[in-house]
Amino acid sequence: MANMQMQQLKKNFGNIPVIKGIDLDIKDREFICFLGPSGCGKSTLLRLMAGLEEISSGEFLIDNKRMNDVPASQRGISMVFQSYALYPHLTVRQNLAFGLKIQKLPNDEINSRIKEVARTLQLSELLDRKPKILSGGQRQRVAIGRAIVRRPKVFLLDEPLSNLDATLRVSMRVELARLHEELQATIVYVTHDQVEAMTLATRVVVMKDGAIQQFATPLELLHRPANVFVAEFIGTPKINLFKVEVQECGPQSITVTHALFSNPITIPIAKDIKFAAGTELTLGIRPHRLSTKQPLDCTISAKVTIVERLGTESLLYTDLGLETLVICSAAGTVPINRGDQITLGFSSDNCLLFDDHDQAIERCLPADVQLLIS
Amino acid sequence: MLRNRYTPYAFLSPYIIVFSVFWLVPILFSFAMSFMNTRSRTWQFDFFLNWGRLLEDELLWQALKNTFLIIALQVPAMLMLAVFAAVLLNSKDLNFKGLHRFAIFAPIVVAEAAYAVIFRLLFNDNFGFVNNMLALINIDAIAWTNSSSGATALIAIGLTWRWTGYNAIIILAGLQNIPKDLYEASELEGASPWQQFTKITLPLLKPAILLCLVLSTFGTLQLFTEPTLLTEGGPGGSTTTVAMYMYSQGFKSFNFGYGSAIAYLIVFLGLTLSLLQFKLFGGKPDE
Repeated sequence: MANMQMQQLKKNFGNIPVIKGIDLDIKDREFICFLGPSGCGKSTLLRLMAGLEEISSGEFLIDNKRMNDVPASQRGISMVFQSYALYPHLTVRQNLAFGLKIQKLPNDEINSRIKEVARTLQLSELLDRKPKILSGGQRQRVAIGRAIVRRPKVFLLDEPLSNLDATLRVSMRVELARLHEELQATIVYVTHDQVEAMTLATRVVVMKDGAIQQFATPLELLHRPANVFVAEFIGTPKINLFKVEVQECGPQSITVTHALFSNPITIPIAKDIKFAAGTELTLGIRPHRLSTKQPLDCTISAKVTIVERLGTESLLYTDLGLETLVICSAAGTVPINRGDQITLGFSSDNCLLFDDHDQAIERCLPADVQLLIS
Repeated sequence: MLRNRYTPYAFLSPYIIVFSVFWLVPILFSFAMSFMNTRSRTWQFDFFLNWGRLLEDELLWQALKNTFLIIALQVPAMLMLAVFAAVLLNSKDLNFKGLHRFAIFAPIVVAEAAYAVIFRLLFNDNFGFVNNMLALINIDAIAWTNSSSGATALIAIGLTWRWTGYNAIIILAGLQNIPKDLYEASELEGASPWQQFTKITLPLLKPAILLCLVLSTFGTLQLFTEPTLLTEGGPGGSTTTVAMYMYSQGFKSFNFGYGSAIAYLIVFLGLTLSLLQFKLFGGKPDE
């Protein structure tokens, strides 16, 4: 149980800055996810926290104690590796006992801890087996068990589910959520899978190129993304983006136009911000906010090029001559086929606006969303 | 159709012919010879003559004793050095890794005769560099070629110098197969570098070390060049190895039958020792 702070944390490999000044405040018992594309520095940040990489500059604190020069083993941290890193020559029991023996704990204590962990993670039957003959899910549980058995203050998990198949990943995700409840521990979890981040985390750190793009709750990321990168990265299918032109700015509203829109649309915003007429902004609409049934505030006429039937929903890909296809999420049984001409309607309440530097213009959230986020 | 069936064999035939004439036939013929009296005017089958003599030939037993002494002295020491060298070569703090790897592997490409000449000079009892160095630190000169213990040590040193790098490279390959994650996981669990070495590196290197152990034991059982060139089997036959004895029986005394029997004894001993080593130290570490 611990809180953690990072202050202007930086890491360079040679002359290449990999982590570019991270400020982060993680509270006790939070489940934090580092989310971002490959190479964004999330695993490096985790390794800096673990003490497996040296911090180039800045401060890292656990419970207000500076950890920069504290050896990895004395930080009170356990880590679960993507590859599990189980000792192949040792049985599950020996793997669990490895760290405890090094700590020179009495045998009784070691045995009782192993028993307890084995019961929690349903490993009792596997204790005398070697990792090689375990399934992926079982190895994963052993790796988590090895982290738990040391009773650390902080758990670091580096893409722990990425080697599992889809079904097992879902069940392990539920298992991890249960463990977090049970252990009441501070967990930092690295993933590039937004579903894992959205379902597990109390707060998510979205990273790009070694810098934090946004640190917020999952729903905030979805409904109030800080910039175009976060808006595009969070949400499946991806958000639709249109380059729009400012027509006029009213009190707490901006009216924008686009050649493909049926009419100019006025978007309510939280603060008074003025842009000159003709300024290019980015307007984002999530696929599930496009309607094939109601005209709403504005419409776009489109020809369907691909229909993906996913069962409960259908994804309609429409080519409007933009850089990317516009996606609309409709009901699973919607009677629309490839080649059909359709009209997509959307409401101004559901539009996200980004300025000419791709930063979000704070919007007024719809009442239902506001209720959820607060 | 028929032609197609035989085409692969036609391609294989050059090798099969060469292998049969120069390998298979001599192997089978020498085995047959080991049951023959080859000292009579016409060679005759005498089933127990040579194999029976193996049991009562004191010179053979002395040669076996010499050989096993060299194995016992040299193989474990060399393997320890090879593991040490491999760990050093694998160290992330080592600069010019390629150069160091070449340097440690280089002795294996030096001609045996050339290195034997240099070793004889270095270890000369009277004016050799090694004894001069020992004198500098007040250690009495060692009779490297004129005492049985000195001569045995000299051969062991020569073999170790020549083969450590070869084994180190095999062990280095084993080391590089150990995932780095294991060391990081153990570092987080508080393991010291020594604990990482004894509890992770060594157990996971077992297959590579076992391979080196078997190869080195088999190699030293056939030891011929070093004692021939460095000590000529002396003094007083104290460094005559079983392979040298086989050679002298076959090609000096022209007793091909007995020489063949000794050759098969070497094969039998090598196989037995290898099986024993696999039994004692074998089994993959993750099974």
